[in-house]
Amino acid sequence: MSASAARRKPSILGASGRQNRLPSPYPWLMPVILVMGLFYLYPVIDVFRYAFTDLTLLGGEGHYTLSTFGNVLRRPELAQILWVTFVFTAGSVIGQQVIGLAIALVVVRAEKRRLFGTTILRTTALVAWVVPGIAGGIIWKMLFNEAPFGGLNSLLRLMGMAPVQWLSDPDIAMWSVVLSNIWRGTAFSMVVMYAALKAIDPTLYEAAEMDGATARQKLAFVTLPQLRPAILVNMILITIQTLNTFDAIIALSGGGPGRATEVLSLYTFNVVFRNYDLAAGSVLSILMLAISLGLALVYAAFLPKEDRS
Amino acid sequence: MKRRRRDRLGDILSYAFMALMFVFFSWPLIWLLSMALRTRKEVFLGVARLIPKSPTLDNFVAVLTSSQFLVYLVNALKLSCLSAVGCLIVAAPAAYAFSRFDFKGKGLWMLGILAFQMISPLVIMVPLYRYMSRLGLIDGHFGTTMVYIALGVPVVTWLLKGYMDGIPRSLDEAALIDGCSRLSVFVRIILPLSTPGVASAFIITVIAGWSQFLVPFLLITKDSLVPIGVGIFQYAGTQNASTIQILAAACLISVVPAIVAFLALQRLILSAMTAGAVKG
Repeated sequence: MSASAARRKPSILGASGRQNRLPSPYPWLMPVILVMGLFYLYPVIDVFRYAFTDLTLLGGEGHYTLSTFGNVLRRPELAQILWVTFVFTAGSVIGQQVIGLAIALVVVRAEKRRLFGTTILRTTALVAWVVPGIAGGIIWKMLFNEAPFGGLNSLLRLMGMAPVQWLSDPDIAMWSVVLSNIWRGTAFSMVVMYAALKAIDPTLYEAAEMDGATARQKLAFVTLPQLRPAILVNMILITIQTLNTFDAIIALSGGGPGRATEVLSLYTFNVVFRNYDLAAGSVLSILMLAISLGLALVYAAFLPKEDRS
Repeated sequence: MKRRRRDRLGDILSYAFMALMFVFFSWPLIWLLSMALRTRKEVFLGVARLIPKSPTLDNFVAVLTSSQFLVYLVNALKLSCLSAVGCLIVAAPAAYAFSRFDFKGKGLWMLGILAFQMISPLVIMVPLYRYMSRLGLIDGHFGTTMVYIALGVPVVTWLLKGYMDGIPRSLDEAALIDGCSRLSVFVRIILPLSTPGVASAFIITVIAGWSQFLVPFLLITKDSLVPIGVGIFQYAGTQNASTIQILAAACLISVVPAIVAFLALQRLILSAMTAGAVKG
């Protein structure tokens, strides 16, 4: 049918005589290619170039040098920064994944039993998720206020417990930051886990019931294996998101006390925009890219084969 | 009998867990609201005055009449709406091509676009700051809007592609046979039918733009051009314990528009959000 149309109106349907079903996609992709090329690809390539210079933000053209790489990677504080980044990321990702899954499981059960309150819980978690990072940081800073009237300490006092130095004790500060990040991020995992739970074939549960499986066995041998791909994809997404978290920390703790909560992204920011060291910041940016890419590959390796494509 | 008792116990545990989680997620926002409604004296009474005895709107008045706050809000609205429109203009044709055309390397192109999501905005801001300051694009809304668009394009492209996949191809084919060009099929048929997808993509991009901090923090230094995310951060830096209730009011004002926009289109946004992750 389309061939006859092509005979009737050859001018519109491709002057080169090609079939109208196979137009070139590139004119359609051009805006995306231009924008992404100009604002993503080109800067990223330039980051790699800067890493081999001694450029600063103070001006000057800089010179090409190989020493920036070594100098940055040998910085004494880098090990501490990476450790903080690891604890922050691992804590947040595990917390969000576990709590998100737990809420999804309970909500699915509660909906089946027609319990009250599932919508309220889901909506509340999602509202926390929509709160902008900076505002989230400011809100939690009020909660963590260590004065007797702080949002958490006055609650503790009401229950007869001693106040906690949420943000000024270096050992506790990291966990406070993780807690605030779990608060803001969990809704995403919850929604993904909920959708994945709903997608499990109900006949699997019927079969398990016929075999006399207990609730715990159903969870361990039906639900969790079925969720595996969704959990892994979710972990990739939230890990990258957490690694790139910046605004929530700068507003909550600013990286302190000392360097107790200074994650890699905040450190990179400080190196470039407080110390004006563009070259060193570029090396750190490459480190950030390498870490996200490496983690994504590790997770992807655990995906079942048929989902990998 | 035994089973019913176990179900009852499960219900109680479910309620307990849900209540605990509800308190965890709502407490920070309840606290924020409580602080924002307090007078200066009541701030120091902590949780004992969760519901203020004499709630006041003075804090909101103080914030909204202070010199710059409304300007920040307007700037944020302008930046996020402009960038959402820009995002749609850039991404919609590509989404159509990905949905309708079969071409070599399509999967790779789509994955490539998604892969940009892995790159932290901070990484591209390092060189972008340098270019922009050389081009004189610092302290204008143009450069910032363009970066917002680039940050939003991957998600919007995928989202619109997914939506357009749901529109039957037979509509395109019928129109092509009637002599429509590809472009007019796209503009006259596919775009109007994609309105719900376009709307949710728009809202998602607006919310993301509203939450932006890093990009405007670096690219905009003039106070009259700063959007709310940066404005409130700088505002927080100048506050102390005696004005915490005003900061709370300011914070609440900056958060509420995003929450309202989200709640209005919750269903659409959620289905868009999960589609990608669950399909893998």
